[in-house]
Amino acid sequence: MTPGIAIEAISLTKDYSGLVAVDSVDFSVSRGECFGVLGPNGAGKTSIMKMVCCVSPVTSGQLVVQGMEVMRHRRAVKSVLGVVSQADSLDPGLNVMQNLLSHARFFSIPGRLAKERAWAALDLFQLRDKASESPDHLSGGMRRRLLIGRALLHDPSILILDEPTTGLDPQSRHLVWDRLLELKQQGITMLLTTHYMDEATYLCDRLMVIDLGKILTEGTPEELVKAHTGEQVVQIQTSIPQRDGLVEHLKKQKLDFEDAGDSVLVFGDSIRLSQAESAWAGYRVVRRPANLEDVFLRLTGRGLRD
Amino acid sequence: MASAAATIRSSFIWRGFHVWQRNRDAVIRGWKVELGGMIIEPFIVLATLGFGLGAYVGNIGDTSYAEYLAPGLIASYAMFHATLDSTYGAYLRMDSHHVYEAMLFTPVEPSDIVFGEVMWGATRAAVSGAVVLAAATSFGLVSSPLAVLAIPCAYLVGLAVASIAMILTATASTIGAMNNFFTVFIIPMFYVSGVFFPLDHLPQSVRTLSWALPLTPAAALTRGLVHGNLSWEMLLWVAELLAVAAVAIYVAAFFMRRRLIK
Repeated sequence: MTPGIAIEAISLTKDYSGLVAVDSVDFSVSRGECFGVLGPNGAGKTSIMKMVCCVSPVTSGQLVVQGMEVMRHRRAVKSVLGVVSQADSLDPGLNVMQNLLSHARFFSIPGRLAKERAWAALDLFQLRDKASESPDHLSGGMRRRLLIGRALLHDPSILILDEPTTGLDPQSRHLVWDRLLELKQQGITMLLTTHYMDEATYLCDRLMVIDLGKILTEGTPEELVKAHTGEQVVQIQTSIPQRDGLVEHLKKQKLDFEDAGDSVLVFGDSIRLSQAESAWAGYRVVRRPANLEDVFLRLTGRGLRD
Repeated sequence: MASAAATIRSSFIWRGFHVWQRNRDAVIRGWKVELGGMIIEPFIVLATLGFGLGAYVGNIGDTSYAEYLAPGLIASYAMFHATLDSTYGAYLRMDSHHVYEAMLFTPVEPSDIVFGEVMWGATRAAVSGAVVLAAATSFGLVSSPLAVLAIPCAYLVGLAVASIAMILTATASTIGAMNNFFTVFIIPMFYVSGVFFPLDHLPQSVRTLSWALPLTPAAALTRGLVHGNLSWEMLLWVAELLAVAAVAIYVAAFFMRRRLIK
């Protein structure tokens, strides 16, 4: 085991009787790092998460969490993970406090300590006055906060977050982000999937983009933007009859561009783009810094997945 | 001693116990809903069948019909309550309420879940057995202080039946599959297990089959305890129920793992 490595995957493969969801993937997550897994629906993100959490067997390859092979040390691996799954798995038969205490018991946390930590978690996520409510009476944002609080009760060293803010309003999302950043500062390792590129940029130290079970690229958000798009984007709005001429012009200037339907995107550094300005004179243009979403769409294409 | 405690705390018994605790908390939270029917029903059944039907039947051996019926009902109610919880109840927890899913993200494994659910089904069996025993006592149908052992006996019945039910729950593709379990297994067993009448006049093949099912030894065991007639055969029946439970828990755990970890 390499010291300083929290999660390591080598040729990790998941085959659901013929359907290869994860295809010989290699990655590693350092301790204290927030590592993002990005990809369109069906890319293999959740399959990777499930294998890390030991709820889906590894078909082949190696997956090591804190030095422990996941297939051989299931309970030990699960006891160091805090999992916020995509599906809302709050227990409707128990109230909010009981949800926390029951979960703490599964980690063998003694009753008194469990109670202390449960109240602390409710305070941290602003749910103290909901302690005796049924989870069915909570809003989506509250439920998600409770799920994260529940995942932290046993003081895990790795937090697994499968789309932690999907469906939340901006207020809840920012509260969740703030808490996650605090946790990161305390040294917790995070493995995160998300569909929100701003979330990935904000939280992740490093990330990989996967599609059809394979890694397309990997690096820090800045590196990825630099490598795949350049620092700026010029977004040119076009109509179909105008486009052929424009595209011709861009090709002639040897510019890096992408035809994105109702607009054409030109990528590059600011000097290069300024030199080429005449190419789009007369069009409606937005010039902005490139971001992870541009990278994501360039790599995974614009076709719908489901 | 410390290491013994630690061993227990890291064993399947302890993890199963936490699953049991989850179910206990959920039932205590909603206890008012279930309590009424659970108490009233045995009184109605004992009064109508025991004394109403019993008036026509007369005595069975040297006991009145109501006295014959009461121990069988203790075992039957234990069976029904364990089965209901380990079929519909467990299936809902597994499928609709995602309770198992959350458990699997903790050190709890599918085999722990099965074990905890079976212990819980058995607990419900013991509680409902105790309620029927109380009803029978209030009607004066209990003749031995050994009758109090009918409660652990009901627990044992619950263990055997709940573990069979968990095999079904682990393999069912819809909740509708539970209905078949009742129509094909539980209800026929209810009528051919010596609860309502002795099996002496049934064909030998039916009797043999009947003794292989858990309710027949369960009813006989309970009857022996309630009437204070002990016999060495009772040890055999206890062994049969324990063996059924052990094998069925093992099989259910296998299928539960296959269902939940894929």
